[in-house]
Amino acid sequence: MVDLSVDLAGLRLRNPLLSASGTFGHGLEMGGFVAPEALGAWVSKTVTLEPRHGNPAPRIAETEAGFLNSIGLENRGVEHYEREVLPTLVGADTLIVTNIGGKQLEDFAAMAERLGERPEIHAFEVNLSCPNVQGAKLQYSTDPDLAERTIASVRTKTSKPIFAKLSPNVARIGEIAKAVEAGGADGITAVNTLLGMSVDWRSRRPGLALVQGGYSGTGIKPVALRCAWECARSVSIPIIGCGGIATADDVLEFLVAGCTAVQVGTASFSDPGLLAGLPAQLEALLESAGIPRLSDLIGTIRDGREAASPSASPKPATQVARS
Amino acid sequence: MPAPPPDAQTQLAELISVEPCGTDGVLLRLRPEAPVTQDGAPLAPNRFFMLRREDGLSPAIPRPFSIYREVPTEGDGPADLVFLVKVIGPGTRALAESAPGTFLRLIGPLGLGWPDLTTPGDPWVFLAGGIGSAPFFMAVESLTRAGDAAEEAGTEPPAAPYLLYGAATAGLVYDVEEFAELDCSLHVATDDGSLGFRGNVLQLLDRLIADGLVPERLRIAACGPLPMLRAAQTWAAARDLECWASLEELMGCGVGICNGCVVETVPGSELGSWPNVKACVEGPAFRCDTVVL
Ligand SMILES: Cc1cc2nc3c(=O)[nH]c(=O)nc-3n(C[C@H](O)[C@H](O)[C@H](O)COP(=O)(O)OP(=O)(O)OC[C@H]3O[C@@H](n4cnc5c(N)ncnc54)[C@H](O)[C@@H]3O)c2cc1C
Ligand SMILES: Cc1cc2nc3c(=O)[nH]c(=O)nc-3n(C[C@H](O)[C@H](O)[C@H](O)COP(=O)(O)O)c2cc1C
Ligand code: FES
Repeated sequence: MVDLSVDLAGLRLRNPLLSASGTFGHGLEMGGFVAPEALGAWVSKTVTLEPRHGNPAPRIAETEAGFLNSIGLENRGVEHYEREVLPTLVGADTLIVTNIGGKQLEDFAAMAERLGERPEIHAFEVNLSCPNVQGAKLQYSTDPDLAERTIASVRTKTSKPIFAKLSPNVARIGEIAKAVEAGGADGITAVNTLLGMSVDWRSRRPGLALVQGGYSGTGIKPVALRCAWECARSVSIPIIGCGGIATADDVLEFLVAGCTAVQVGTASFSDPGLLAGLPAQLEALLESAGIPRLSDLIGTIRDGREAASPSASPKPATQVARS
Repeated sequence: MPAPPPDAQTQLAELISVEPCGTDGVLLRLRPEAPVTQDGAPLAPNRFFMLRREDGLSPAIPRPFSIYREVPTEGDGPADLVFLVKVIGPGTRALAESAPGTFLRLIGPLGLGWPDLTTPGDPWVFLAGGIGSAPFFMAVESLTRAGDAAEEAGTEPPAAPYLLYGAATAGLVYDVEEFAELDCSLHVATDDGSLGFRGNVLQLLDRLIADGLVPERLRIAACGPLPMLRAAQTWAAARDLECWASLEELMGCGVGICNGCVVETVPGSELGSWPNVKACVEGPAFRCDTVVL
């Protein structure tokens, strides 16, 4: 038997697989395709204080190696989430990560204040990095000072683990990673979508009504992997890799590069049941490689630092569980 | 909260046959591993499935297709599913070029289908534009079945439907011989007059009403290109008639999760409490006075 469990900021995850925000519902709506207990944790679509109607259509466009979206964080707001979604999560045999977003700095803290001690929620993911709001300015995930202050404001409102979700649209993601660590984040999700666009030259029409949007899927995997690796070498809090992950091999690549867990997004559109099959595939891969514990792989990349730096060895689970 | 239909599944289905149909279409016959309905019940007409190849030749995002027909198999395996697919781009081409024996990802059944067509009321006129005929084959069959059941029970059967099937030219009136076998009043129109009436389906409808071949009080269900749906919407609104349109929105997930397939709602209408609906889980058919086409 291979042990797939990991310790993520004090949370014991059955396996390192999480759904990616916005690609797997608000609660457990996808439970007909993937049993709740099949995943280490379920991540909600971004919830905001007020309802958001989202952007004009077309909001999605497929490209050669990935997927563009400009959904615009459409959701019914936190009140609806509390009333309609949270009650459906009571007793779920998995962990729940609620992804929160905001327009201004105070919104993030207000969200955390409102949801911070709800027992249905095990951790928060703070969406600092949606490219589809505020004219793709991405200020929360490109300005280290603002990123740190945002996380610090959330930190004061909850005792549960906070994961800061970062954008790949920066030159030095390690600096942002350090900033959110200083702000009190317990982990980092790397990454959100890349900014991208498509155009049909014949009609001159962009694929998305808003022209630019978030690029996800297979094509972004090398970019996401590099971002996750840079984050892992920059901080001592755990990293959740995200971007273009579709197979068990992809999962293990992110773990070797330094991630403690991963999220799968766009690949679930190819097959909504994809995530259900991954644990067994991970087990098979590890078994054939003679690795009894998945967590032994974390951060074992031979990037030239393994001898020099102690932080390249697998990170011990230093966080104590927060109740 | 949009959510996948409770009966939706993801599974592999073996491609049994691919037959050309019309100038640019194919009929794909698929054998799902597990039945897509319980106890052999027929699928509701105009429910749909997402389809893709998993060998790297299909785009990553599956494409939505209405169920065209169900064909019973020998023995007691689940019925085969037939899709009528017009080849327009990489997704449809990959499916059309698949060899029998290929296994395809099959996600569904999805969507709500047509509204219940057997409710008492004026007769249904089905307006099909080209490949938009796909969701009407089983719509007609469902009315025939309801008629037979009513006859057996000695109750009032629903009126037989009219199917007005239009396209640019004869080669795009897919599978018309099979439609002609159905228990409905079939009328064909082509823009170039190469088959049936010369003109579009709404001109044909006006003519049939003028000739007394279709009653003035009727209900419309339409599927086809957007200009046709808009024309049907306007035509029905002017006469205060019930009209439904099935929309071919771009879809990312088909299961209510990505928020990609949004259609603007009419404020104050039945659907107006939110500025959009998700075509995949709340449609794909909508009453024309509730959405902006
Ligand atoms: C509920 C539903 C049921 C459907 N049923 C059928 C069916 O039974 N048979 C069938 O042949 N097709 C059906 N369609 C349409 C089918 O899904 C599209 O033709 C298919 O997705 C095209 O994929 P592609 O990769 O071949 O082309 P793409 O490369 O995706 O498209 C080629 C070109 O067509 C445009 N386009 C693509 N899809 C649409 C669209 N829906 N409306 C307008 N323009 C579009 C693109 O912008 C592009 O310019 C249905 C769609 C929906 C939403
Ligand atoms: C349709 C769609 C909607 C998304 N919505 C959100 C969201 O609400 N909040 C968020 O933090 N990320 C959102 N994302 C980003 C994903 O969570 C993920 O970071 C990104 O897609 C990269 O991973 P992938 O390549 O596995 O999809 C969305 C992505 C897609 C494709
Ligand atoms: S919500 Fe994804 S296609 Fe409808």
